[in-house]
Amino acid sequence: MAEHLFRIAPSGASRATILFVPPLFDEANRLRRTLVLAMRALAAEGYAAVLPDLPGQNESLIALEDVDLECWRDALAEVAAGIDGPVVIASIRGGALIDHRAEAAAWWRLAPVGGAPLLRTMLRARVTADREAGIESSLESLQAAARDAPLLLAGNALSPAMVSQLGAAEAQPVAPLRAIGLGADGIAGTPLWLRAEPGEDAAMAAAIAADIAAWSKTCGIS
Amino acid sequence: MGAGIESLCAFHAGERYVTEPTFEPSGVDATLRALLADVLGLGEERAAALTDDSGLFGELPEFDSMAVATVLTEMEDRLGIIIDDDEIDGEIFETYGNLLAFSLRKVNG
Repeated sequence: MAEHLFRIAPSGASRATILFVPPLFDEANRLRRTLVLAMRALAAEGYAAVLPDLPGQNESLIALEDVDLECWRDALAEVAAGIDGPVVIASIRGGALIDHRAEAAAWWRLAPVGGAPLLRTMLRARVTADREAGIESSLESLQAAARDAPLLLAGNALSPAMVSQLGAAEAQPVAPLRAIGLGADGIAGTPLWLRAEPGEDAAMAAAIAADIAAWSKTCGIS
Repeated sequence: MGAGIESLCAFHAGERYVTEPTFEPSGVDATLRALLADVLGLGEERAAALTDDSGLFGELPEFDSMAVATVLTEMEDRLGIIIDDDEIDGEIFETYGNLLAFSLRKVNG
Protein backbone atom coordinates (compact mmCIF):
# COMPACT_ATOMS: atom_id res chain seq x y z
CA MET A 1 0.00 0.00 0.00
CA ALA A 2 1.72 3.13 -1.19
CA GLU A 3 -0.64 5.71 0.25
CA HIS A 4 0.31 8.17 2.94
CA LEU A 5 -1.19 7.84 6.34
CA PHE A 6 -1.31 10.60 8.93
CA ARG A 7 -0.89 9.19 12.41
CA ILE A 8 -0.74 10.93 15.76
CA ALA A 9 0.64 8.66 18.46
CA PRO A 10 0.22 9.03 22.24
CA SER A 11 3.40 9.53 24.26
CA GLY A 12 3.23 6.04 25.79
CA ALA A 13 1.66 2.77 24.64
CA SER A 14 -1.65 3.27 22.87
CA ARG A 15 -4.92 1.92 24.29
CA ALA A 16 -6.38 1.48 20.84
CA THR A 17 -6.24 3.09 17.41
CA ILE A 18 -8.98 5.40 16.22
CA LEU A 19 -9.13 5.11 12.44
CA PHE A 20 -10.82 8.18 10.97
CA VAL A 21 -12.77 8.03 7.73
CA PRO A 22 -13.42 11.65 6.79
CA PRO A 23 -16.34 12.92 4.70
CA LEU A 24 -16.00 12.46 0.94
CA PHE A 25 -14.68 14.95 -1.64
CA ASP A 26 -14.81 18.67 -0.74
CA GLU A 27 -16.46 17.99 2.59
CA ALA A 28 -13.27 16.31 3.78
CA ASN A 29 -11.26 19.49 3.25
CA ARG A 30 -13.75 21.60 5.16
CA LEU A 31 -13.59 19.33 8.20
CA ARG A 32 -9.90 18.39 8.11
CA ARG A 33 -8.53 20.91 10.59
CA THR A 34 -11.20 20.11 13.15
CA LEU A 35 -10.65 16.36 12.68
CA VAL A 36 -6.93 16.74 13.24
CA LEU A 37 -7.64 18.71 16.44
CA ALA A 38 -9.83 15.78 17.55
CA MET A 39 -6.96 13.40 16.71
CA ARG A 40 -4.58 15.40 18.89
CA ALA A 41 -7.09 15.34 21.75
CA LEU A 42 -7.41 11.56 21.43
CA ALA A 43 -3.64 11.14 21.44
CA ALA A 44 -3.52 13.15 24.69
CA GLU A 45 -5.94 10.55 26.12
CA GLY A 46 -3.69 7.67 25.14
CA TYR A 47 -5.17 6.69 21.77
CA ALA A 48 -3.35 6.50 18.48
CA ALA A 49 -5.29 8.38 15.80
CA VAL A 50 -4.95 7.62 12.10
CA LEU A 51 -6.20 9.55 9.08
CA PRO A 52 -5.38 7.61 5.89
CA ASP A 53 -5.22 8.82 2.31
CA LEU A 54 -7.22 6.39 0.19
CA PRO A 55 -6.32 5.89 -3.48
CA GLY A 56 -7.16 9.03 -5.45
CA GLN A 57 -7.29 11.27 -2.36
CA ASN A 58 -4.85 13.97 -1.25
CA GLU A 59 -1.25 12.88 -1.91
CA SER A 60 -2.17 9.66 -3.70
CA LEU A 61 -0.40 8.99 -7.00
CA ILE A 62 -3.54 7.31 -8.33
CA ALA A 63 -5.97 9.50 -10.24
CA LEU A 64 -9.37 10.02 -8.63
CA GLU A 65 -11.05 9.00 -11.87
CA ASP A 66 -9.47 5.53 -11.57
CA VAL A 67 -11.13 4.67 -8.26
CA ASP A 68 -14.62 4.12 -6.90
CA LEU A 69 -16.30 3.39 -3.55
CA GLU A 70 -15.57 -0.34 -3.80
CA CYS A 71 -11.88 0.44 -4.16
CA TRP A 72 -12.04 2.72 -1.11
CA ARG A 73 -13.79 0.02 0.96
CA ASP A 74 -11.01 -2.42 0.11
CA ALA A 75 -8.26 0.12 0.76
CA LEU A 76 -9.72 1.05 4.14
CA ALA A 77 -9.98 -2.65 5.09
CA GLU A 78 -6.31 -2.98 4.22
CA VAL A 79 -5.37 0.02 6.39
CA ALA A 80 -7.36 -1.43 9.32
CA ALA A 81 -5.78 -4.86 8.88
CA GLY A 82 -2.32 -3.28 9.08
CA ILE A 83 -2.94 -1.74 12.51
CA ASP A 84 -1.76 -3.60 15.64
CA GLY A 85 -4.21 -3.78 18.53
CA PRO A 86 -7.89 -2.85 18.71
CA VAL A 87 -9.27 -0.49 16.07
CA VAL A 88 -12.25 1.83 16.43
CA ILE A 89 -13.45 3.25 13.13
CA ALA A 90 -14.73 6.83 13.33
CA SER A 91 -16.43 7.91 10.13
CA ILE A 92 -18.09 11.19 9.31
CA ARG A 93 -20.80 11.88 6.72
CA GLY A 94 -20.03 9.99 3.49
CA GLY A 95 -17.16 8.21 5.24
CA ALA A 96 -19.88 5.94 6.63
CA LEU A 97 -20.49 4.65 3.09
CA ILE A 98 -17.09 2.96 2.94
CA ASP A 99 -16.37 1.85 6.52
CA HIS A 100 -18.10 -1.55 6.74
CA ARG A 101 -15.64 -3.83 4.95
CA ALA A 102 -12.83 -3.09 7.40
CA GLU A 103 -12.60 -5.20 10.54
CA ALA A 104 -12.85 -3.24 13.76
CA ALA A 105 -13.71 -3.65 17.43
CA ALA A 106 -16.29 -0.83 17.20
CA TRP A 107 -17.67 1.83 14.87
CA TRP A 108 -18.60 5.44 15.54
CA ARG A 109 -20.42 7.50 12.90
CA LEU A 110 -21.05 11.24 12.96
CA ALA A 111 -23.92 12.55 10.81
CA PRO A 112 -23.87 9.65 8.34
CA VAL A 113 -25.40 10.52 4.97
CA GLY A 114 -26.49 8.56 1.89
CA GLY A 115 -24.55 8.87 -1.34
CA ALA A 116 -27.48 10.22 -3.37
CA PRO A 117 -27.67 13.67 -1.71
CA LEU A 118 -23.87 14.02 -1.96
CA LEU A 119 -23.98 13.27 -5.67
CA ARG A 120 -27.00 15.52 -6.19
CA THR A 121 -25.23 18.45 -4.54
CA MET A 122 -22.16 18.03 -6.74
CA LEU A 123 -24.28 17.70 -9.87
CA ARG A 124 -26.21 20.83 -8.92
CA ALA A 125 -23.01 22.79 -8.37
CA ARG A 126 -21.85 21.75 -11.85
CA VAL A 127 -25.16 22.75 -13.45
CA THR A 128 -25.05 26.14 -11.69
CA ALA A 129 -21.44 26.73 -12.74
CA ASP A 130 -22.24 25.63 -16.31
CA ARG A 131 -25.11 28.14 -16.45
CA GLU A 132 -22.81 30.95 -15.41
CA ALA A 133 -20.45 29.92 -18.20
CA GLY A 134 -23.35 29.89 -20.67
CA ILE A 135 -23.31 26.10 -21.07
CA GLU A 136 -26.55 24.15 -21.17
CA SER A 137 -26.61 21.17 -18.79
CA SER A 138 -28.97 19.39 -16.43
CA LEU A 139 -28.77 16.74 -13.74
CA GLU A 140 -30.09 14.24 -16.29
CA SER A 141 -27.68 15.17 -19.08
CA LEU A 142 -24.71 15.04 -16.71
CA GLN A 143 -25.71 11.67 -15.35
CA ALA A 144 -26.16 10.34 -18.87
CA ALA A 145 -22.69 11.61 -19.80
CA ALA A 146 -21.28 9.95 -16.67
CA ARG A 147 -22.37 6.51 -17.86
CA ASP A 148 -19.37 6.08 -20.15
CA ALA A 149 -16.82 8.77 -19.33
CA PRO A 150 -15.44 10.43 -16.19
CA LEU A 151 -17.49 13.42 -15.09
CA LEU A 152 -15.91 16.54 -13.60
CA LEU A 153 -17.94 17.64 -10.58
CA ALA A 154 -16.73 20.53 -8.43
CA GLY A 155 -13.14 19.77 -9.37
CA ASN A 156 -13.46 16.01 -8.86
CA ALA A 157 -13.16 13.72 -11.89
CA LEU A 158 -15.52 10.87 -11.02
CA SER A 159 -15.49 7.58 -12.90
CA PRO A 160 -18.72 6.05 -14.23
CA ALA A 161 -18.43 3.41 -11.48
CA MET A 162 -17.96 6.08 -8.82
CA VAL A 163 -21.02 8.03 -9.99
CA SER A 164 -23.27 4.97 -10.13
CA GLN A 165 -22.05 3.56 -6.80
CA LEU A 166 -22.37 6.93 -5.09
CA GLY A 167 -25.93 7.42 -6.36
CA ALA A 168 -27.00 4.17 -4.68
CA ALA A 169 -24.74 4.05 -1.62
CA GLU A 170 -26.20 3.82 1.88
CA ALA A 171 -24.38 3.28 5.16
CA GLN A 172 -24.34 -0.46 5.91
CA PRO A 173 -25.08 -2.08 9.27
CA VAL A 174 -22.03 -2.63 11.49
CA ALA A 175 -21.78 -3.55 15.17
CA PRO A 176 -21.16 -2.34 17.75
CA LEU A 177 -22.08 1.08 16.36
CA ARG A 178 -22.70 4.49 17.89
CA ALA A 179 -24.30 6.81 15.35
CA ILE A 180 -24.55 10.41 16.48
CA GLY A 181 -25.68 13.69 14.99
CA LEU A 182 -25.06 17.34 15.78
CA GLY A 183 -27.05 19.32 18.29
CA ALA A 184 -28.40 19.14 21.82
CA ASP A 185 -28.45 15.32 22.02
CA GLY A 186 -25.34 14.85 19.88
CA ILE A 187 -22.08 16.65 19.25
CA ALA A 188 -22.34 20.38 19.98
CA GLY A 189 -21.15 22.23 16.91
CA THR A 190 -22.07 23.32 13.41
CA PRO A 191 -21.87 21.24 10.21
CA LEU A 192 -18.46 22.55 9.12
CA TRP A 193 -18.54 20.11 6.17
CA LEU A 194 -21.23 22.28 4.57
CA ARG A 195 -19.32 25.57 4.89
CA ALA A 196 -18.54 27.46 1.73
CA GLU A 197 -15.27 28.53 3.36
CA PRO A 198 -13.26 26.26 5.64
CA GLY A 199 -13.38 26.93 9.35
CA GLU A 200 -12.38 25.13 12.49
CA ASP A 201 -14.01 24.51 15.81
CA ALA A 202 -11.84 23.49 18.76
CA ALA A 203 -14.79 22.89 21.08
CA MET A 204 -16.39 20.60 18.53
CA ALA A 205 -13.11 18.72 18.11
CA ALA A 206 -12.92 18.20 21.87
CA ALA A 207 -16.53 16.95 21.92
CA ILE A 208 -15.79 14.50 19.09
CA ALA A 209 -12.73 13.15 20.87
CA ALA A 210 -14.55 12.80 24.20
CA ASP A 211 -17.48 10.99 22.62
CA ILE A 212 -15.24 8.55 20.74
CA ALA A 213 -13.20 7.84 23.88
CA ALA A 214 -16.38 7.23 25.92
CA TRP A 215 -17.79 4.90 23.24
CA SER A 216 -14.51 3.05 23.06
CA LYS A 217 -14.64 2.45 26.83
CA THR A 218 -18.29 1.38 26.64
CA CYS A 219 -17.20 -1.25 24.13
CA GLY A 220 -14.60 -2.52 26.55
CA ILE A 221 -11.65 -1.05 24.67
CA SER A 222 -9.41 0.82 27.04
CA MET B 1 -26.48 38.93 -11.04
CA GLY B 2 -27.96 35.58 -10.30
CA ALA B 3 -28.27 34.84 -14.00
CA GLY B 4 -26.22 31.70 -13.52
CA ILE B 5 -29.16 29.65 -12.37
CA GLU B 6 -31.91 31.22 -14.44
CA SER B 7 -32.44 28.32 -16.75
CA LEU B 8 -32.70 25.75 -13.99
CA CYS B 9 -36.34 26.68 -14.26
CA ALA B 10 -39.85 25.63 -15.43
CA PHE B 11 -42.39 24.08 -13.14
CA HIS B 12 -43.14 20.38 -13.09
CA ALA B 13 -46.87 20.00 -12.59
CA GLY B 14 -46.59 16.41 -11.43
CA GLU B 15 -44.17 17.25 -8.64
CA ARG B 16 -45.62 16.82 -5.16
CA TYR B 17 -44.26 17.52 -1.75
CA VAL B 18 -43.21 14.89 0.70
CA THR B 19 -43.57 17.19 3.70
CA GLU B 20 -44.34 15.27 6.83
CA PRO B 21 -44.18 17.73 9.68
CA THR B 22 -46.24 20.83 8.94
CA PHE B 23 -44.06 23.87 9.41
CA GLU B 24 -45.34 27.14 10.76
CA PRO B 25 -44.07 30.05 8.64
CA SER B 26 -41.86 31.10 11.56
CA GLY B 27 -40.41 27.57 11.65
CA VAL B 28 -39.52 27.73 7.96
CA ASP B 29 -37.93 31.14 8.49
CA ALA B 30 -35.85 29.92 11.44
CA THR B 31 -34.82 26.74 9.58
CA LEU B 32 -33.76 28.74 6.55
CA ARG B 33 -31.71 31.24 8.57
CA ALA B 34 -29.95 28.44 10.44
CA LEU B 35 -29.23 26.69 7.17
CA LEU B 36 -27.75 29.81 5.56
CA ALA B 37 -25.67 30.39 8.70
CA ASP B 38 -24.31 26.84 8.46
CA VAL B 39 -23.53 26.89 4.74
CA LEU B 40 -22.27 30.47 4.46
CA GLY B 41 -20.69 30.65 7.91
CA LEU B 42 -22.67 33.80 8.64
CA GLY B 43 -22.84 33.41 12.39
CA GLU B 44 -26.09 33.81 14.30
CA GLU B 45 -26.08 37.60 14.28
CA ARG B 46 -25.69 38.07 10.54
CA ALA B 47 -28.23 35.31 9.89
CA ALA B 48 -30.73 36.93 12.25
CA ALA B 49 -30.19 40.31 10.58
CA LEU B 50 -31.21 39.07 7.11
CA THR B 51 -34.25 40.92 5.81
CA ASP B 52 -36.51 40.17 2.84
CA ASP B 53 -34.38 42.55 0.77
CA SER B 54 -31.01 41.08 1.74
CA GLY B 55 -29.15 40.01 -1.38
CA LEU B 56 -27.81 36.46 -1.58
CA PHE B 57 -26.35 34.99 -4.80
CA GLY B 58 -24.13 37.58 -6.40
CA GLU B 59 -24.05 39.74 -3.32
CA LEU B 60 -22.58 37.53 -0.59
CA PRO B 61 -19.10 36.47 -1.71
CA GLU B 62 -19.48 33.10 0.04
CA PHE B 63 -22.53 32.29 -2.08
CA ASP B 64 -20.88 30.48 -4.99
CA SER B 65 -22.26 27.69 -7.16
CA MET B 66 -21.28 25.02 -4.62
CA ALA B 67 -23.05 26.97 -1.87
CA VAL B 68 -26.20 27.25 -4.01
CA ALA B 69 -26.12 23.48 -4.51
CA THR B 70 -25.52 22.82 -0.82
CA VAL B 71 -28.36 25.13 0.21
CA LEU B 72 -30.78 23.30 -2.12
CA THR B 73 -29.87 19.86 -0.80
CA GLU B 74 -30.04 21.04 2.82
CA MET B 75 -33.45 22.66 2.18
CA GLU B 76 -34.69 19.28 0.99
CA ASP B 77 -33.29 17.56 4.02
CA ARG B 78 -34.32 20.02 6.73
CA LEU B 79 -37.70 21.14 5.33
CA GLY B 80 -38.67 17.65 4.14
CA ILE B 81 -39.29 18.77 0.56
CA ILE B 82 -38.14 17.61 -2.85
CA ILE B 83 -36.92 20.36 -5.16
CA ASP B 84 -36.98 19.65 -8.85
CA ASP B 85 -34.13 21.64 -10.29
CA ASP B 86 -36.39 22.65 -13.16
CA GLU B 87 -38.44 24.80 -10.79
CA ILE B 88 -35.49 26.87 -9.63
CA ASP B 89 -34.90 30.17 -11.34
CA GLY B 90 -32.31 32.84 -10.68
CA GLU B 91 -34.78 35.03 -8.78
CA ILE B 92 -35.09 32.56 -5.93
CA PHE B 93 -31.54 33.23 -4.82
CA GLU B 94 -31.59 36.97 -5.45
CA THR B 95 -32.88 37.89 -2.01
CA TYR B 96 -33.63 36.25 1.30
CA GLY B 97 -37.32 37.18 0.88
CA ASN B 98 -37.50 35.31 -2.42
CA LEU B 99 -35.87 32.24 -0.98
CA LEU B 100 -38.23 32.29 2.01
CA ALA B 101 -41.30 32.70 -0.22
CA PHE B 102 -40.17 29.76 -2.39
CA SER B 103 -39.60 27.61 0.71
CA LEU B 104 -43.04 28.45 2.14
CA ARG B 105 -44.67 27.56 -1.19
CA LYS B 106 -42.88 24.23 -1.23
CA VAL B 107 -43.60 23.39 2.40
CA ASN B 108 -47.27 24.30 2.23
CA GLY B 109 -47.89 22.79 -1.18
